[in-house]
Amino acid sequence: MNQSVLDVHQLNKIYGKKSEKQFHALNGVSFAMTEGEFVGVMGPSGAGKTTLLNVISTLDTATNGSVKIAGTDITTMKQGQLADFRSSQLGFIFQDFNLLENLTVYENIALPLSLQGVSVRKIKPAVESVVAKLGIESILNKYPVTISGGQKQRVAAARALVHEPALILADEPTGALDSKNARSLMETMVHLNENHTTSIMLVTHDPLSASYCERILFIQDGKLYKEIHRNGTRGEFHQDILDVLAQFASPDLG
Amino acid sequence: MLLKLSLSSMRKLAKDYMVLLFGLTISIAIFYMFETLAQNKAFLEANSLISSIIFVFHVGTFILGIITVFYIFYATSFLLSLRQKELGMYMTLGAKKHKITQLMFMETFFVGLTALIIGIVVGVGLSYGIAELLMWQLDFQGGGFQPLYPSSLVTTILFYIALFFLTSIVNAWRIGRKSVLDLLHSGQQQDQVKTSGLRTFLGVVLSVILIAVGYYAMVNIAELMEFGIILATVTIIPGTYLIFISLLPYLVKKLKQNRNLNEKGINSFTLGQLRFRMLNLMMVLGTVAMLIALGLGAMTAGTSFYHNIGIQSSMFHANDVILYEPNNSEKEMLASMEVTKQQEYRYKVTSEGVYFLKTDLESDPPEVMTFEEGSEGFSPTTPNATLSEEEYTLYGGEGMPELPGNWWTAISTELGAGTMFGNRSLFVYGASNYQEVNGEEHQVILAQVDDFTAHLTQLELLNASQKTLAEKYTGNQVEQLGGKYSNYVALKGFASGTIFMGIFLGIAFLMMMASVLMFKLLSSAGADVDRYSMLRKIGVRKTLLVKSIYRELFLLFLFPAIVGIVHVVIGMQMFSFIIIEPYTKIWIPLTLFFVIYGIYYFITVQMYKRIVLPKQV
Repeated sequence: MNQSVLDVHQLNKIYGKKSEKQFHALNGVSFAMTEGEFVGVMGPSGAGKTTLLNVISTLDTATNGSVKIAGTDITTMKQGQLADFRSSQLGFIFQDFNLLENLTVYENIALPLSLQGVSVRKIKPAVESVVAKLGIESILNKYPVTISGGQKQRVAAARALVHEPALILADEPTGALDSKNARSLMETMVHLNENHTTSIMLVTHDPLSASYCERILFIQDGKLYKEIHRNGTRGEFHQDILDVLAQFASPDLG
Repeated sequence: MLLKLSLSSMRKLAKDYMVLLFGLTISIAIFYMFETLAQNKAFLEANSLISSIIFVFHVGTFILGIITVFYIFYATSFLLSLRQKELGMYMTLGAKKHKITQLMFMETFFVGLTALIIGIVVGVGLSYGIAELLMWQLDFQGGGFQPLYPSSLVTTILFYIALFFLTSIVNAWRIGRKSVLDLLHSGQQQDQVKTSGLRTFLGVVLSVILIAVGYYAMVNIAELMEFGIILATVTIIPGTYLIFISLLPYLVKKLKQNRNLNEKGINSFTLGQLRFRMLNLMMVLGTVAMLIALGLGAMTAGTSFYHNIGIQSSMFHANDVILYEPNNSEKEMLASMEVTKQQEYRYKVTSEGVYFLKTDLESDPPEVMTFEEGSEGFSPTTPNATLSEEEYTLYGGEGMPELPGNWWTAISTELGAGTMFGNRSLFVYGASNYQEVNGEEHQVILAQVDDFTAHLTQLELLNASQKTLAEKYTGNQVEQLGGKYSNYVALKGFASGTIFMGIFLGIAFLMMMASVLMFKLLSSAGADVDRYSMLRKIGVRKTLLVKSIYRELFLLFLFPAIVGIVHVVIGMQMFSFIIIEPYTKIWIPLTLFFVIYGIYYFITVQMYKRIVLPKQV
């Protein structure tokens, strides 16, 4: 249970060549996640959240430092290997869903398995089990354009989960949802996290969504600024988060 | 102000406008090229083997017109999709609706006019270049052909101005109908998939019936004549479009329903792409299939006429070379060819007559072409009658019997004696009578070569020197000698105009096909960028993405090619009453087509890859 799923060590990301004006998007970020953890990453715009997520998700490369996911150091891997790694070890949930609108819901969810060459016989039960967890059994044969935003995000979550990745990376998953759907999605994520020991890293602006996490990392100017743990109820945690955010808004008081 | 804004944004979208302009330009150029032939009645009538050629070109203009209308409407709607988001933004900033409508009208019309000017110039240039090249290749004078033909110019300009005026109105009307929000969110609209079972079924049945009727009309063109051409036109065109509207989406759907196939690797995405593309490509694919059919058909007909010359000239002559009184240089030239059979005969010439030695003819009889009942046509045989008399004449008289059976053909056609010796009478004498003839003895060589058309240069030289000999005997200018080569030259003179038209139009149609398909694929590639970047994010290797692109485009190229080629193969039946073997060497235009089409497929894949694939994977 305490196995490390993510280990980020002294991560730096510098944009711009040496001769030009350089920008330190990430400046020595280090943190770790154990298996089954639900971690939130918050911070103001431009703090480096997206860069961090891109590097961890292997879409972007770090300037230096190391990122280990389930014991594998991704900073030394080649492009092709990275693609394979993404498809087997990571699950993605994006703000704008990123579903393929030319495939049915079923096909969207089955795609990661097909890509890994899982036999057709095994795909169906895997898809059925994951859609049952997310409660979207009834829309399997529909196309994304005909379903609601909340349903789309559940489909995206199902697609992220279907191949049982080591880590789910969620980038503002509630960003395009109304409050009811956002709440429902977060509850589902907590459910997945608690009952199916899914490790989730959530990047968000929204304090309410973040309050579902167990632990929040605050980033500012490319550095880890603060880390808070949830000790009491979700309501109290929500208040804690708001307090930290208030310090961002008026740093002089902090 | 609005005009200025709109001009600056046109500059911004320069790449897309180039694609659009290119597509329109090619269409105009091809239309003009076609009309230079179609309206030049004098040229057509003077140079065609097909009696109703003017009518055929009328039908051709009609078909091309329909295709062009479809294509132009499609191409200008691309302009609408490019611009609507920005025009919507102008409206949120306070531009009035009628201004926007006006702007859209002006823009469409302006782009159309620009394309028209460039297209006419390109069209004249292409007509000139291709005509020159073909005439040189075919050794065809092509008197009367004018690359800059005023009446065609006027037709093209009027037709396109009317068409652009119409499409401008449609574009303006369509943009006027939409609300500001619709315009602003136009980029996010997604395709809807609609396939109702019954409609698909009816469509498939109807398309099969239509095409079957059209094929029937083409196969039986000899009886149906002009009505057959009209019938084939009005059935095959809608039938072809219907195939792409109903049958193909159905096939892809069936393919997708095969789970073993669909859920393997990236297949589900490839097929999903294909299915969605099918829906907005069906008109374009139908058009491409028609253009392939027309272009490849015209080219195949052209080359078929060309090969027909060889076949037809072999029909009446078993021997390829006749050499009277061969001198050394003629003998050397003969030896330089691959001679498969060579025979020699002696004869004597006096001022009144020519006397062939019977024993030579009997011991090694020349082959003649005979028509055999029940066989395919003419085939070479040796004369069957025996020459029992001592003396024969070719035309009878002088108390001598006429040459029996196909011995007559042997002397007049195979030996070409009639044209060589002018007014002299022709005789075949037995040995003793031959001895008594007081004249110079000479020799004539008959030869067959392995491949007649491979030795045309030598044959031409031999023909020229034999002509000099004939002029010595006849004392007159000799227009044409007997024998296979002269026959070949004469037939070629008749056919080269038709061949020229076939190949000229073939090139034009295939060029238009290329521009239509390329325009469509590239203009819709922008929408695919997101899909590929998403696949990259969930961890699809670049090699797999590339494979998917190759497969998807391959299938898109394959379907219209199949339909087009089937049309051509059946359509060649139309020429069976005028061409002896319409399918001879059909592999030449087909191979040529596949090579060009293949190269074109490869280029499109590369361009498409450049647009849709994420930069770093």
